[in-house]
Amino acid sequence: MSSSTSSEVVVHARHLGKAYQLYARRGDWLKQVMLGWWKSYYKPFWVLRDIDLDVYRGESIGILGRNGCGKSTLLQVICGMTLPSRGELRVTGRIAPVLALGATFDAELSGRENIMIGGAVLGLKRSELLRNFESIAEFAGIGDYMEQAVKHYSMGMRTRLAFAICAHVDAEILVVDEALAVGDAAFQRKCMDWIDRFRKTGTLLFVSHSMTEVRRLCTRAIWIEEGRIRASGEPSTVIRAYHRALAMEKDDIHRFSAGA
Amino acid sequence: MPSVNIVNGKQIVVEHLDRSQRVHRFLARPFVQMRFHQELIQAVLRRELRARFQGSAGGWFWAVVAPLVAIAVYTFAFTTNLQLPLADNLGGHRVAYALFIFSGIVVFNFFAEMAYRAPMLMHEYAHYIKHTIFPSDMLAVIATLRATVYTAVSLIVLLLFLLIVRGGLPWTALLLPIVFLPLTAFLLGLAWFLCAVGAFTRDAGYLMINIVPLLMFASPVFYPHNSLNLLIYANALTGYIEVMRDILLFGRFPNPLVYAWVLITSAATFYFGYWFFDRYRNVIVDVL
Repeated sequence: MSSSTSSEVVVHARHLGKAYQLYARRGDWLKQVMLGWWKSYYKPFWVLRDIDLDVYRGESIGILGRNGCGKSTLLQVICGMTLPSRGELRVTGRIAPVLALGATFDAELSGRENIMIGGAVLGLKRSELLRNFESIAEFAGIGDYMEQAVKHYSMGMRTRLAFAICAHVDAEILVVDEALAVGDAAFQRKCMDWIDRFRKTGTLLFVSHSMTEVRRLCTRAIWIEEGRIRASGEPSTVIRAYHRALAMEKDDIHRFSAGA
Repeated sequence: MPSVNIVNGKQIVVEHLDRSQRVHRFLARPFVQMRFHQELIQAVLRRELRARFQGSAGGWFWAVVAPLVAIAVYTFAFTTNLQLPLADNLGGHRVAYALFIFSGIVVFNFFAEMAYRAPMLMHEYAHYIKHTIFPSDMLAVIATLRATVYTAVSLIVLLLFLLIVRGGLPWTALLLPIVFLPLTAFLLGLAWFLCAVGAFTRDAGYLMINIVPLLMFASPVFYPHNSLNLLIYANALTGYIEVMRDILLFGRFPNPLVYAWVLITSAATFYFGYWFFDRYRNVIVDVL
C-alpha cells in the first residue's frame, strides 16, 4: 500500500441491489438462459434492495439484522462471489472471506492436506503455507488430530482449523460471517484477540448476533432490514435501536416470500 | 493491487483498447488466468490425484492393469469372433490389431473421461464456488490435467507394449506432443462448454452417458476408415486418432490436411469453450 490515510475508501457501494431468481420449475433456468432476452421466466427475489455504504481503511464495521435480511448476501457481493444485480460497487485491496468456515474441507483428507487446499483457495502460495504450517497448527490447537481425516473432527475442531488458515492470509479487508459461534469460549477469545490485532492494520466487516462482540470490536454498526440500511452509526446506539425493534416487531412470516 | 469495479451487474475494467489489442487479450486470457492461478491448480490437482491413487488399495496398479486388460479383451473379441478386414500395412497380426485399437482407445478414453465428468464438475465443487472466492474457470483446467495424467499412464503402457512387440519405436514417436497438445486444448474447450451447460441442467450429464458409447463407434477406434469418406471427419476425434496412429504405429508424417483440421478444431473449441464459460460464469454461481 502506498498511502494508508484513514480517509481512504476501500469499499464503495451505491444503490447496491441483489435479486435471486426464483423459478417455479427446475427447467425454467435453461429457458431463461436461452430466451432471457425475450421474456423472463422467474420471479425476482430482492435480497438486497438499496445499499449505500462507504467503508474507510482501518474501520471495523459490525453488521446487524434478523435472519434473511441480506447480511450474508451483502458480504458475498462485497467479496465478489456473486455479482450485484444493480448498483455500483468498488472494492480496493485483498479480501479474505471468512464466510463459510471449512467449506473447502474435504472430509476424506487430513487436516494437514486441507490446510494446503484451503490456503491455496485463499490465495496463499505453497511455499508460504509450508513456512507457516507450524504457526497455523499452533493457532488451531488440535494437536494430533492434524494428521487425521477431517471427517473425524467435531464441528468445533473444523472451525478452529478453518479460522487458523484464515488468520494466516495476508489480507487488507477481512470479512467475517458469524464464523466464531461454534468455537468454545477460549478459542473465541483467541480469535477475538487476533481480530483485535488485525484491526490495527486492516479493515474489518463483521456479521454477528452477539452484541457483546459487536460492541467490543466495531467502530461503527450497521443495521440491515429488508435489504436496506435501517440505521448506521455508533455501535451502542444502533444496538439499542435494534433491540427495541426486535422486542416490538413480531417475527414476520412473509419475510421470505418473493415479490416486487 | 486487486480491485473490483462493478456497475449494474457488469464488471467494469477501465481500459481503452483498440480491436487488435482486444483480440490479443481474448487470445491470451485463458493462459493468463491459468498462470495466475497455478498454485491453486496444483493444490487441487494434487489432492485429486492423491484421492485417485491412494484412495483405492491398488492405486497405480489399476491405472496400469486396466489398459492392459482392455487390450487383451479387444484383441480377443475382434480377432477370434469377428473377422474385420484389416489394413494391409497392419500385417493382419493379432498384436498389430491390438496396437491399432489401443492407440485409438487412448485418445477416445481421454475424451470419454472429460465428457462424463465435465457436466458434473460445477456441482462437485459447488461448495467452493459458492462460499469462497474460487476461480470456477480453473475447474475444467484441473479436470483436464487430471485426465491427462491418466492418459499419460495409458500412453506409457502403449509405448512399452510397442517397444516390446516391435523391439523399437519409430522416430516419429517424438512428435507425440503435436497430437497431445491440440487434443488437450480441444478437450479443455469441450470441458468448459460442458461444465457450463451441466451447471444449468443435469440433462447434459445424462446426454453424455448415452452419446459417448455411440461416439466410440462413430470414431475409427476399432476399424480403419476409408479416407475418401469425409463425413467421418465431422467427428473431430477422427483426426486426432489418425494422426496418433500415423506417428506411433506407421512411423510416418500425418496427412497435412488432417493435421490442419486437428489444429482448427482444437483452437476453435478451446476459445469457444472459454468464451461460453466466461459469458455464463456469473449466472452459474446463482444457479448452483
